[in-house]
Amino acid sequence: MAFEPGPHTLAIDGSSLPDRQLIGGKAWSIARMRALGLSVPPAFVVTARACTAYLESGALPPGLEDELARGIEWLEAASDCRFGGGERPLLVSVRSGAAISMPGMMDTVLNLGITDATETALAGVSGDAAFARDTHRRFLDLYARIVLKAVIPDLDEHAAPADWRQLIEDAGGAPVPTDPRAQLRAAVQAVFESWNSRRARRYRQHHCIPDTLGTAVTVQAMVFGNLDDKSGTGVLFSRNPLTGEPTPYGEYLARAQGEDVVSGRYTPQPLSALGAQMPAVHTELLAAAATLERENGDVQDIEFTVQAGRLFLLQTRSAKRAPAAAVRFAVDMVSEGRIDETTALSRVTAEQVRTLLSPRLAVGAAAAADCVAKGEAACQGVGVGIVVTNTDEAERRALAGEAIVLARATTSPDDVHGMIACRAVVTEQGGTTSHAAVVSRALGVACVVGCGEGSVTALEGRLVTVDGASGCLYAGELPVVAPDENAEPSLAALIRWAEARAPLTVLADGGEDVLDLAGVDGGEDIERLPALIAGHGCVRGGAIASDGGVRAALAAGVRSIVATPRLPVLLAALEAVRATP
Amino acid sequence: MNDMHLALHGVAIKKHAAPAVVADAVGLSAERAGSLLTEATAGGRLAEAQGGYVLTPAGRMILDNQYSRFYGELRADQAFVSAHDRFERVNVELKQVITDWQTLEVGGQQVRNDHSNREYDADVLDRLGAVHERFEPLLAQLIRGLPRLAVYRHKLERALEEAERGQIQWVSDAKLESYHTVWFEMHEDLLRVLGRVRDE
Repeated sequence: MAFEPGPHTLAIDGSSLPDRQLIGGKAWSIARMRALGLSVPPAFVVTARACTAYLESGALPPGLEDELARGIEWLEAASDCRFGGGERPLLVSVRSGAAISMPGMMDTVLNLGITDATETALAGVSGDAAFARDTHRRFLDLYARIVLKAVIPDLDEHAAPADWRQLIEDAGGAPVPTDPRAQLRAAVQAVFESWNSRRARRYRQHHCIPDTLGTAVTVQAMVFGNLDDKSGTGVLFSRNPLTGEPTPYGEYLARAQGEDVVSGRYTPQPLSALGAQMPAVHTELLAAAATLERENGDVQDIEFTVQAGRLFLLQTRSAKRAPAAAVRFAVDMVSEGRIDETTALSRVTAEQVRTLLSPRLAVGAAAAADCVAKGEAACQGVGVGIVVTNTDEAERRALAGEAIVLARATTSPDDVHGMIACRAVVTEQGGTTSHAAVVSRALGVACVVGCGEGSVTALEGRLVTVDGASGCLYAGELPVVAPDENAEPSLAALIRWAEARAPLTVLADGGEDVLDLAGVDGGEDIERLPALIAGHGCVRGGAIASDGGVRAALAAGVRSIVATPRLPVLLAALEAVRATP
Repeated sequence: MNDMHLALHGVAIKKHAAPAVVADAVGLSAERAGSLLTEATAGGRLAEAQGGYVLTPAGRMILDNQYSRFYGELRADQAFVSAHDRFERVNVELKQVITDWQTLEVGGQQVRNDHSNREYDADVLDRLGAVHERFEPLLAQLIRGLPRLAVYRHKLERALEEAERGQIQWVSDAKLESYHTVWFEMHEDLLRVLGRVRDE
């Protein structure tokens, strides 16, 4: 039985796996890692029951304050640090955690426990006064925005804590308590209140989640990756998330905190750097990754910190993956006996396979070609056409059947119609968040942005090939190839497994008696498909091979679809079956 | 302000749209917008094709010259201008959220978000909601200066609610009034009203 400071709190000490409803998903994941014998920073939880009590009475339940104090004492003992004083300061993170994650819940407050006194102590322990000061600033910034809900300007890095506190008080009307225990209490209360934020309530309503469940609060000791030369922080994928190769893949940044990695200010090193410096930690990390992958049955993305030579796992979750990796993970894990074929099929989406099979420049084609403009790659894909700079003209000619590349200084909502009709969109100004980039991605049109003033509009009238993957515009028409789903063994395996389970057949070639939606009015419009395909056993063309088209086909009792490639249609059909309750 | 200006402005924001859509964008009745659009077409300011309207080069020039006349007072309104300047900062955040919705980083590379990772999507949607909430007081300030902007509040809320309900195309689909579509139309509207130029 886990150590319980009181009826409303629970220490995560690995001795048992508490009820997920009670402690929330995040704490449950920490508890599970500890139960597996992995090294995780110590944490305790204020349970969802305390939240329910708070929401009913409008006040923190009696005794909770004492329990928080005992929870903190437990963290102090487990981490050998002191909260709010001492030579080695204990700082904690405070995060919300409902059993079901939902929008509108309070964001995490980090570095709680830092005060003028502990800042000095942290400066001493880390030998880095600037880091200690910056930790103080980041805490005040988060506390002001998240707990006090004050709208504050960025805190000047060169000012002192007293100035920051004054600025926050002026902006928000409330002072930041100087006692870290009062800060903790306020943060816990703010998490409870976020349960009733407008967005959270709306979300629960839509998803039929009872309002009475409440959220737990996880209070966890912070660890520092910048304490000394044997400290650092990194990310580890249990397999390569780009290629899918079954070898761990990661990055490590010595003497750094997680936010340094995210900020992009420093270039992380490959994981081998950690192996060279601290082989035992490296071995422990790889073993932990293998354990977590095996236990969770999927490739993991693990955040970790090394503090003074000791490994701590901060978070693990199913890894985000590129399409090629999604396919390889699924097929490899079946051959390793870790998952079954049905699970493997659920791990690869139709969209991922469409991306893998989408046309690209033939190997070597770019090397021999003349790159006439270069910018930032904003949306993958290859578009070949005549450059037109006037949007209305581009749209008119494209609709008349010409292949057109729209080139603009920038785009605005005025240009969307032209963008829809074109093979590619290129701009001179703006980056990957610009209007042109966002709209092209939404449309799935190849796009290159920020090629520089006068660069692409000067190409008016020329035939170009736009490579949205590399950000290059080439003179003339370059050869384009589409990968073959049957030639790739892992895709062929997925096709075999999917065919055995799919609720309809997918044919590369149609026989007799096929309804061809190509050229049928409304055949591209998913809303109109049900009426058009009713009563037909076999359909091809139009929007039938899209995810929505496949759903419509299943609903209409269509027995077979004629399309190439076949795998996306098969996967869409399996997904449609899974989504039907 | 006159209705003809509003109708032309509506066509600038809502290209190729039917009268009812233009009317909805600028707060005219559908009948009034219909007759104004017909009149402007007869006068050579608009061209009509398949029930939708676009500005002719002449119409565009006339419209562009009208803004400073009709919005001179608003351009001098400090509260409005300052709300707009703060909006531009939120705009940078919003564009990043939308970009993160469409692409994600895998092992240091940007790849298309195929929406197979529910946790990632939920996280980005949560951030979109947070940006929206930060923007609400600014939008209220803008609406105080120019009441017709209230239409954007309604459309943004609808898009956000649809997206949160699981209809994820309402985040950035370019072919419907998704959050991003409405946000950009609002941005374009504000730039025209204030006589500013889009920087990307």
